[in-house]
This record gives sequence, C-alpha cells and structure tokens, in this order.
Amino acid sequence: MLLRRLANIVFVALAFTAPAAAWAEPVVDKPAPEFAGKTADGKTLDLKSLRGKTVVLEWTNHECPFVKKHYESGNIPQLQKDATAQGIVWLQVISSAPDKEGYVDGATAIKLNKFRDAAPTNTVLDPEGTIGRLYGAQTSPHLFIINPEGVLVYKGGIDSIPSADPGDIAKAENYVKSALSELKAGKKVSKSSTRPYGCTVKYAS
Amino acid sequence: MSGKRSSGLIAAWLLGASAIGLPGQGYAATAEAATDQVRARLVASVDAVHPGAEILLGVNQRIIPHWHTYWKNPGDSGLATTIAWQLPAGAAAGEILWPVPSRFTVGPVTNYAYADEVTLLSPVTVPKDVAPGGVFPVNATVKWLVCEETCIPQTVELAISLPVVSGPSEAGQGSPLIREAQASLPVASPWPVSVTYGQDAVTLKIRGKELKPERIAEVGFFADQWGRISHGAPQERFFDDDGISLKLKPGEDPAPGAVLSGVLVVTENSADGPVRRGFAVEASPAGAAAATAHEGEPELGLASALVLALLGGLVLNLMPCVFPVLSLKALHLLKQAEESRTRTRLHGLAYTAGVLLSFAALGGVLIFLKAGGSAVGWGFQFQSPLFVLATAYLMFVVGLSLSGLLELGGSAAGLGSSLAEKRGYSGSFFTGVLATVVAAPCTAPFMGAAIGYAVAQSPVVLLAVLLSLGFGLALPYLALSHWPLLQRHLPRPGAWMETVKQGLAFPMYATAAWLVWVLAQQAGSHVVAVALGGMVAIAFAAWTHQRTRWGSPAARRFGSGVAAVAVFSALAVGYTGVTGPLADVSAPAEASAGKNWEPYSAARLQALRAEGRPVFLNFTAAWCISCLVNEKVALSDGAVSEAFRKGGVTYLKGDWTNRDPEITAKLQEFGRSGVPLYIHYPAGKDSAPVILPQILTPEIVLGAISPAAEVANSNLTFIKE
Repeated sequence: MLLRRLANIVFVALAFTAPAAAWAEPVVDKPAPEFAGKTADGKTLDLKSLRGKTVVLEWTNHECPFVKKHYESGNIPQLQKDATAQGIVWLQVISSAPDKEGYVDGATAIKLNKFRDAAPTNTVLDPEGTIGRLYGAQTSPHLFIINPEGVLVYKGGIDSIPSADPGDIAKAENYVKSALSELKAGKKVSKSSTRPYGCTVKYAS
Repeated sequence: MSGKRSSGLIAAWLLGASAIGLPGQGYAATAEAATDQVRARLVASVDAVHPGAEILLGVNQRIIPHWHTYWKNPGDSGLATTIAWQLPAGAAAGEILWPVPSRFTVGPVTNYAYADEVTLLSPVTVPKDVAPGGVFPVNATVKWLVCEETCIPQTVELAISLPVVSGPSEAGQGSPLIREAQASLPVASPWPVSVTYGQDAVTLKIRGKELKPERIAEVGFFADQWGRISHGAPQERFFDDDGISLKLKPGEDPAPGAVLSGVLVVTENSADGPVRRGFAVEASPAGAAAATAHEGEPELGLASALVLALLGGLVLNLMPCVFPVLSLKALHLLKQAEESRTRTRLHGLAYTAGVLLSFAALGGVLIFLKAGGSAVGWGFQFQSPLFVLATAYLMFVVGLSLSGLLELGGSAAGLGSSLAEKRGYSGSFFTGVLATVVAAPCTAPFMGAAIGYAVAQSPVVLLAVLLSLGFGLALPYLALSHWPLLQRHLPRPGAWMETVKQGLAFPMYATAAWLVWVLAQQAGSHVVAVALGGMVAIAFAAWTHQRTRWGSPAARRFGSGVAAVAVFSALAVGYTGVTGPLADVSAPAEASAGKNWEPYSAARLQALRAEGRPVFLNFTAAWCISCLVNEKVALSDGAVSEAFRKGGVTYLKGDWTNRDPEITAKLQEFGRSGVPLYIHYPAGKDSAPVILPQILTPEIVLGAISPAAEVANSNLTFIKE
C-alpha cells in the first residue's frame, strides 16, 4: 500500500518534469510538432498529410524590412521556385496577430505573393500564433525544414549574414539552400541549427 | 495602421542618411544625426588629441520611449549596432565596449538591448606622426536596428574633427558622456565563476561569501554569444554558504565544455535603493583546474537521484547515528514475535510512515525557506546551535535509556525517545521520527550528490528525492516486518538482548559527544561547558527519577520535582548559553598587508585639509556589497594605489558597519543616508570636494584624483590624455 503510494509520488514528480520537455521548442533530429492550419485559399492543411514530402516552413511578415530584403531582391522567391520544382512543399506561415504588423487575410496574402513574384506551395494563416509558438518561431524570416519522415532537420536563419542590407545576400552562405541540397544528396544537414535573424514575430499578446 | 507603419519606415530610411557635422569647430565638436526614433551623437574623451594618444570615441544614442537598440548578442531577434570608422592613416579603432544591457521580452521572444540612452565606446589610437596644429578627422558609419513592435534598420554618418596639440596637458576634459558610459561598462567579476553543463541546465556558480539573499535583489546572466543559453527562460537562483548558483536553460547552441562568457548583472539592495551593476564573466567549466571537491559534484538526472537516494537511505541504517535506533526497533520486533503477522506488518508500516512523514516535513520546511530566498542546504536545521544542543541532549537521553539508567514510563511524555519506547503503533511511528531526526546529520556528508541535486530542483523533485531517501531508511525494518522468512533468521529472544541494548548506548553517547563538538564550532568553546553541564543535570534528573519511582507517592512527587527542576535548568542554561552574549561573533578580519588607507576620523580629515593635502574619502561597510566590490575592483587596483602614493593623496576609510555618528554626520553633509560614498578633496586648503559615483572603476578614480598630466604614463589613460 505504502509502496504504491510512493510510486504514485514518484510518478507525480516525473509527470511534473515531463511537460517541460514537451513544451520546449522543436528539436532537430526529433519528430516535428504536428499541426493543422487554415491556408490562404481557405482550406485546411495538416502536416501529417504531407508525410513523404520534404516540407519547408517559412515564418514571414511582408512589412518587415528583413523579409523585404529577401523578397525584393528575389532571393526567397527564387528559393521557393527551386524547391517547389523539386516537389518540396514550401509553406509560408504568418503568425502576426490582427492589428499587428504583417497581418493579412488569405486574399491579401495571395495578392502579395503574386505582386512579389513569390511562389510558395501555400500560405498558412496563424493569427492566434498557435503554430508559431509550437515551433518557437521568433523572427521573420525563421525557417524550419522537415524531412519526408516527419523529422525536423533544420531550424534557423535564412543565411549567415544577419543584416537588412540586400547587398549582403550574395556574400552570405544561404543555409536553406545548403540544407536542401544536402538533403537531396541524401546527406545529413551539416548546419542544422543556426541563428535566425529578422523582425520579432508579432504574436497576439 | 500598417500603412502608417510603412510610411514611417520609409521616412526613417530616408532620414537615416542625414548627418549634421560640425567640422573644424575645434573643441570636442560633436556631430549629431537623427532618425524618427534615435538621435545619435559622436563624442570623444578629449577635446584635442596629441601624437600617440589613446582616446575613447563614443556613439551616444538617445532613443524615444518604448524603442530599443541592441547589445552585441541581441538575443532571439534583433541586430547589434555596428560602427565602421574612417580614421586618418595610421589610426586604429578597437572593438566596441558594450555597456550592461537589459532584457526585453515580447511574447516568446527575448532580446538583450538598450532603451532610452546608451553610449557605445571604442578605443582609438592616434598615430605618433600626427602634426600638432592640424586636425584629426573622425568619421563613423553607424548602423543599428531600432525596434518597438516594429523593427527599423537605420544608418547614420557621424563626423567630428579634433584639433591636434603637442602634449596631453592640452587634451582637455572631453565629453562627460564618455565618463558616464565608462561607469555603465561591466567590470571584471571579483568573484570566481564556473559553469557546469548538465542535460537540462547550464549552471553558473558564483562564489562569494558576501552574496547573501538579503542583500541581492536580483541576479541575471547575459551570454554574449547567441544560442549559448535560452535568452528568455527564467533564470533560477539558489543561495548557499559559498555564493549563488544560477540555473540557466541551454540554448540552441550550448557548446558544452566551453567557456561561457557574458555579463552577470547583480542588483543589490542598498540604503539608497537598488544598485544594478554588471560584471564581465568568463566562466570555465567546473571540474577543471579551479574546481574544489565541493563543486565537482556530478550532474544527476531525476531517476538516478531517486535510486541513489534509495540506496543512500539503506546504507544510512548502518551509520552510527541511526543503527542504535533501528536495532532498538529490531529488538522490539523480537519481543513481538508472538504477535500476529498483521500486527507486525502494521508496526512496520507505522515506522515507515513515521520516517516518510518526517522527511516530508523536513522537505516542506526546506521548500518554505527556499521560497523565501534563504540560503538553505540539507542539514540546514543544524545551522541552528539550539537545534544541535537539543539533539545532543536527546541522544544523551536515548543513551541513558539504553544503558538502563532511565526507564521512561508512559507518563514521562514529551521526548521522542519515550514515545519510541511505547509499545503501540504510535511507538513504532515515533521510532521512525526519531530515526529521521538522528539520520539527518549523517545524511549531509553521505548523500551530498543526490541532496545537492534535489535542493537545486523544483519542490516536487526535492520532495521525491527526500521521500526516496526516507523510504530507503525505512526499508530494512519494513522488509523485516513483512516477511516472516526474514524474521525467522533473526536470533531468538533472550538475555543477550539486554547486553546488546546496553552496548548500543555507546554510539548514542558518541553522537552526543560529536554534537557537542559541532556546537563548539558554531557558538564558541564556552558552550561545551554549557552542554556538558546540561547533560550532568539530565543524568541527575534520570537518577532521581529512577531512585524514587518505586517509592511512596510523596517520594515519587519529590523525585519528579527534582528531576523536572534539573531538566528545566539544563534547558534554560543551554538556551541562554547558546544564544546569549557570550556566543562567538566572528569579526571580519581586515587584511593588513598592502593596506593603502588609514581609518577615518573627522579630526584627521580636518588636519589634512588644513595642510592643504589631497584626501580621498571612502565610507564603507562590511554589509555593503557595492562598497566591497568597489574596493576590490577599483580602490585596491595597483594603478590607483600608485596614483594615491604619487599624488600624495591620503586615503581615509570610514567603516560604517556598526553605528558611527561621526560618519553618519559626514554622510548627511553630502546628502546621503548610507554608504557607499566616495569623496575626493583635491590639494589646496579651500578646494571643493568632488563626489564620485557609487560605482567605481579604476579609470573613474584615476580620472578624479589625477590632474590631467599625471596619468599620462599610466596604462589607464582613457579618461584624460
């Protein structure tokens, strides 16, 4: 009887420590957190349904100067085109809350992408910030790559020079491009966790 | 709303390029440039440069409310400010010296940044071949990211031109912003700091006996590289006798085993309100060269801590403090051999419950004290001399009882041992309590790793580890009482039991003797007499009680009365002896070697002033951490002592640790209600005293006490050339 009670106490103690692990941001080489979200074209998208494909998640906010740097220079649109041409699913995620910088409705998101010549597979609208907080997305841009087995293989910045200057793009190492080509070659991503840079994601407070 | 933001953004970008220079104006020409959010100014530590000078240039940013610019590690997002210098040929600028940053948290994102105002200093070397009479032009391209909710990258161009003079004496005062900025720089940590990398935590251990919970309002660590620690995670702090442990969550790129560098920000409670101060820290992994045995304790997981605690509890049974108690219980079990199996089991469970509840109670007190910010570790109750004395008495009484000199009846309640003697389940329960009480002092040295781990964890984990330890302690008797097979292996009851019982009294006496020794360490040698006297009184009480208990009712009353008086006097003398004025108060010893100061007295100050001699006054106290740090970092500095000596400055130190009306009056004269206070009286009978900031660096002291020319040869010439 007492043994059982003690076991209960130990279990309670363990139960208190376990959620801390589940709560932490996603870990590279561990299964990526599952999510379902509304897309710009009004559908619902489930990460599970994309199993078997490489998935790129790109947190974005069209008003952020760092995002502008990579869109106006054509850097991210080009990456999106190259990726989708290879059958990779590229999802923009917008976690800006209504009234905050970067918040758009589905129609505007589609219009913006057309205007910027951007070509993601789809745009996920996350105004409550649920998916953003699940992934610990901190900046726009902030990128995550999930392999066909559903394992997170990359998280971090777009490239190696944190700046708002488009002139730095050519000089920087593009981490996302390197990671995708390493994955294509069947290799492990060598720089799998890098420093993201950009504007703070404008979550609902 | 977003439209407004966009236009503001464009405006800021356009504005970014505008810079208003004041070339050729001469003395400390400042150049300013402003965006909507930040007004930037280029300032120098001198009004004029001379060949070979080392100067400081500062970019001062004044930021509108709610916005901020970033530290060298901006945290989760953001960008550090950069300065690109364009200097005359041969001149070189060093890295930016970053003032102590603050934390800014927006949702799940935490940044290290500056609000309101900040000055970023850069040391610059002037080439030897600049020609006096000319100018030394300085241009800087400064890029920053300024954020509120929105972030705006901005660039400004700043320029100043400093005249070139022939020597340091004409260099001038420079901008006061430079000195303010110097005071906001982190200073070298006076405390050794080490780092331990665990599975879920990076622990910084800051060793300094003066770091006490009542003095420290806040401690925080800013890693100067991205990803070393989680920027936003709460930083749990734990006080112990040695200093503070700061538990940090590892970041994305924790680099285990590497040196962890950054800034430790300590906010101290002082008479004038909280004082916030930054210390540059380069923490080496613990277990390397400097680590003591104390510190090299391995990082444990919860599971291994629980198992270790259980095993530790088991082994505790064999410790001299516990063994007699357990044996006592085992003897009871032999006597109860005829009782039913159920009853025997219930005794075992009652004993276990006694142990577990006592451990839970100790854990509860520990958690309560910890929540209050107290410096507690396991065995904290033994920090109280009164508790130690009471335990010593208790051990002695149990010893007497085992020796057969004291047979306590059910009526003589109050002592754990007497309850433990009871035959019922409550007897078993209180034996468990007694076992815990006596086990506690043994636990500390033996269970170091597991207890050390537990104390640094959440209350639930702490409690789980303690209960596991308690369960280990209770397990042998619990097993004995549950399995008849084990009982069959016990020897048969007989006369030998009395011999064993009497023999077991000696470990109890030994424990009591040891506790008296502990007491002497805590409260001074006189308490040995108090404790031993108390024990004699207790022995006398036992003897009286024993001699009269079978006599007439009158004799019994007389015996009980005398015994009660004896016990009462043992307790009273013990209490006053331990807590009274005779108890040792360790006075802080002042290091006399290398002393460069004299004690302060108003008369001495007056005499020195009358002679027109320069004087440096330092009002300090042993309980003031800023004071101690300033003394360690700035006032004991070699260059400062040298400057005192060279300049003929008499350094007077006023100790305000205890009340001193003379110093209080002097403090009031300068509008202060407390220490620290630093005053410099320059040479000359009527010179005006200069009040120094509450936070000192060697540069500040040197700048204050030295006429410009005097420090020219020192290596600390940033303030004045």
